[in-house]
Amino acid sequence: MTNKWLQSLAIHLASLLAPCEERAEWLEWWCSELWYVSSRQATRFCLGAFRDAFWLRQNGSNLVKQTGRRLRSPFACVAAFGSLSGASILITNRLERMLPFRVTDGMSAAGGIADMVFFYLVLAVTAFIIKDSPGNRRPMPRPGTARSWVFLCLKIGLVLPILQCTIVAVVVVNVPPLSLVFYAACVLLFRWIFTDQRRRCPVCLRLLTDPIRIGTPSQTFLQWYGAESMCARGHGLLHSPEISASYFPEHKWLDLDDSWRALRSAGAEFQ
Amino acid sequence: MADGPRLTYASCLILQALAIGQIYGYLVMDVTGLPSGTVYPALRRLEREQLIQSRWERQSIADAALRPARKYFNLTRAGKSALEASLKRYPLLAQLVPSEEVQDI
Repeated sequence: MTNKWLQSLAIHLASLLAPCEERAEWLEWWCSELWYVSSRQATRFCLGAFRDAFWLRQNGSNLVKQTGRRLRSPFACVAAFGSLSGASILITNRLERMLPFRVTDGMSAAGGIADMVFFYLVLAVTAFIIKDSPGNRRPMPRPGTARSWVFLCLKIGLVLPILQCTIVAVVVVNVPPLSLVFYAACVLLFRWIFTDQRRRCPVCLRLLTDPIRIGTPSQTFLQWYGAESMCARGHGLLHSPEISASYFPEHKWLDLDDSWRALRSAGAEFQ
Repeated sequence: MADGPRLTYASCLILQALAIGQIYGYLVMDVTGLPSGTVYPALRRLEREQLIQSRWERQSIADAALRPARKYFNLTRAGKSALEASLKRYPLLAQLVPSEEVQDI
């Protein structure tokens, strides 16, 4: 890449990957550095710009982190889901006007979707149930358990309009493998619901944070290999095995009882 | 548990290069021999971890030298401690980067 114009074009193209709020500074820095690069090294140098911009987008965007932080709360998650469902209902109504018939009248939506829900619930139910750790002094409190089931049912209920919207959109766009698209949407959405449920504290339903890896996959004799996440409010720790073994087959919740109070003050987050 | 942020070998190499003094990104590449796709993200990461700090040089200086303004980096106190720790971990590191002052390009 000997042409300075091409080099500059490459840098500007790479700048499109950088987050908007940091693009100007990023571009200024890279254009300044490009001035020193010889023509022999220019190609390799410019390719590095793409990697740097992509790294900045992945690690530098405050918007992504802020969005993730907001969805930690169960209310925010339900609100976001509710908004998506509302938008899906509106889109479904709009799309059905473009068709000579109502898709939702033509199919037994309730029956079909209920079958799917039940089917995937049965399939996935063992994947998200969290057992009490043997070290717990007390079982998981009943209101926390009930709240968890209510939250799960709310998410499933709110996802149905999204699935309905998917069906109608597929009919409008006239994609041939309708059932495949529907099944794929079902699998993805329900998988996300159950995975999200598993990643939440069973007491306060906030997303667990600070995951760390414990152990190594090659050393599982008398040790376990998995991940540990914690509730930011100090309610407990979730241990998730990477490799299921007879001594650690499923996810376990370790309740941090009052004896841990010294590590957390009232109203402060457990860090 | 080790104190301070965990550093990769490339990050240690970059810190060793910055120990020379205030240098800018391209010079770090030149001194360490690492590609731009490694050096610049590493510089950002090190700055976030407060091991290095950056500053843009004054435009008047750049204009007088008939070149664009440079973004200089230098080690912080935490960066110096991290470098000392990394030199214990990677003893050959000190030999890979020249310790004499780098000539201005």
